[in-house]
Amino acid sequence: MALLTVRNLVKDFEGRRVLDGIDLDLEEGQVKVVMGPSGCGKSTLLRCLNRLIEPTAGQIRFEGEDILRPGTDVRALRQRIGFVFQNFALYRHLTALENIKLGLRKLRHFSEAQATERARAELRRMELETHGDKYPAQLSGGQKQRVAIARALAMDPKVLFFDEPTSALDPRMSREVITLINRLFLDNVTMLCVTHDVTVARYISDSVLFLDQGRVRAEGDADHLLDQHQDPHISAFFGRGARGV
Amino acid sequence: MNDWLAFFQEVLDYGPALLAGLGNTLLLAVTITLTGLLAGIGVFYLTISQHAITRRLTDAYVSFFIGTPLIVLLFLMYYGLPPLGLRLSPLTVAIIGFTLNVAAYNARYLRIAYNGIDQGELEAARAQGFTHLEVFRLVTLPQALRLAAVPALTNQAILNLKDSSVVFLIQYTEFFAQVQELAASNFQYFKAYLLAGLVYLLLVSLIVLLARRLERTVLRPLL
Repeated sequence: MALLTVRNLVKDFEGRRVLDGIDLDLEEGQVKVVMGPSGCGKSTLLRCLNRLIEPTAGQIRFEGEDILRPGTDVRALRQRIGFVFQNFALYRHLTALENIKLGLRKLRHFSEAQATERARAELRRMELETHGDKYPAQLSGGQKQRVAIARALAMDPKVLFFDEPTSALDPRMSREVITLINRLFLDNVTMLCVTHDVTVARYISDSVLFLDQGRVRAEGDADHLLDQHQDPHISAFFGRGARGV
Repeated sequence: MNDWLAFFQEVLDYGPALLAGLGNTLLLAVTITLTGLLAGIGVFYLTISQHAITRRLTDAYVSFFIGTPLIVLLFLMYYGLPPLGLRLSPLTVAIIGFTLNVAAYNARYLRIAYNGIDQGELEAARAQGFTHLEVFRLVTLPQALRLAAVPALTNQAILNLKDSSVVFLIQYTEFFAQVQELAASNFQYFKAYLLAGLVYLLLVSLIVLLARRLERTVLRPLL
């Protein structure tokens, strides 16, 4: 059984159809990358899946449970889904360590000592153990994104959502984060990643979903989609159109 | 010179009354600073409610109290309510009146500070599984307070101290009321009011010093 199954998902914003009948399956341990031109609905799709945005129609099943039915415990659902944002979204009044501890203390009801121990372990995993007492303003972009990933992982989510995790970073910091995501890939962490970064799609994904104008235009393994797909929109997106490859 | 010596002698004679008045001023200023802050936080929470009607009602509240002179509200309660059968003590009127007024200002300051908070952090908190109230308590409020604490909220504390002098008009015997007594007893208005000004300046300077200390400790992490 797939961890996440999406059928015919539709989202309208003020009369405009942003998602138009999306189907998606994500198996446990799988890494799926969602790509497509700006404004094609990638980020909206992620936010519909944990109900940060309410879909207009369709079906979403998470661990077999219909999460759009009335009475769904949205709070519990979100705790099972880690979310990493493009602009890090660290709580800037808290240190790196406190950022990780907050969810553990308030949502998972860990004791202070347990939360500190777990948060330190996650910082170690991200090779940030000496940065725990720093505020976000004192960290580089790459470090902030690693703290954000640590914060998400600390909650033991079933799946990690990434929304453009490298697009706010310079190439060096971007490589730092990609290396880290690759490590999670090797650890069999289930991930759904919205990105423009071809490196992420090529090396850290089991399959790529290409969205265009709110619809799934193609789905398949990265090499095929990036190098050989015949659809002119997809070729143009990956810069192959001009050479006629 | 002899005038000044005689005046200081009278100040010493009036010392207990002046000190009692100063105590009443500080009691009122500290109370309304706290109640105004707490009520302001409550109003601020409602101004960012998910419900449009709640937001509109609280916006109307804020606009009404910011647009109405405080003295009108104090007179309305102190002189206007007794004929309707409700008689409140000067201190009660002062606390209620100031709290309603200061809460509106504090809510406005916090609302402006809220615009400086990265909305992505609030979305991240919701994505983690926090409720609207938890997001407010754990992320929005600590940041809004820090961003608004210096200078707006400390300015408000200074204004509370200075504005508390108007409550002598509703028979609350605070420091300025006692200074009025002193001045009326010896007709040394200039010296008496100069003394009042110096005392207020000293108290305001203490608040400013405290605010600077606060600025260094609470604001730095956000910059």
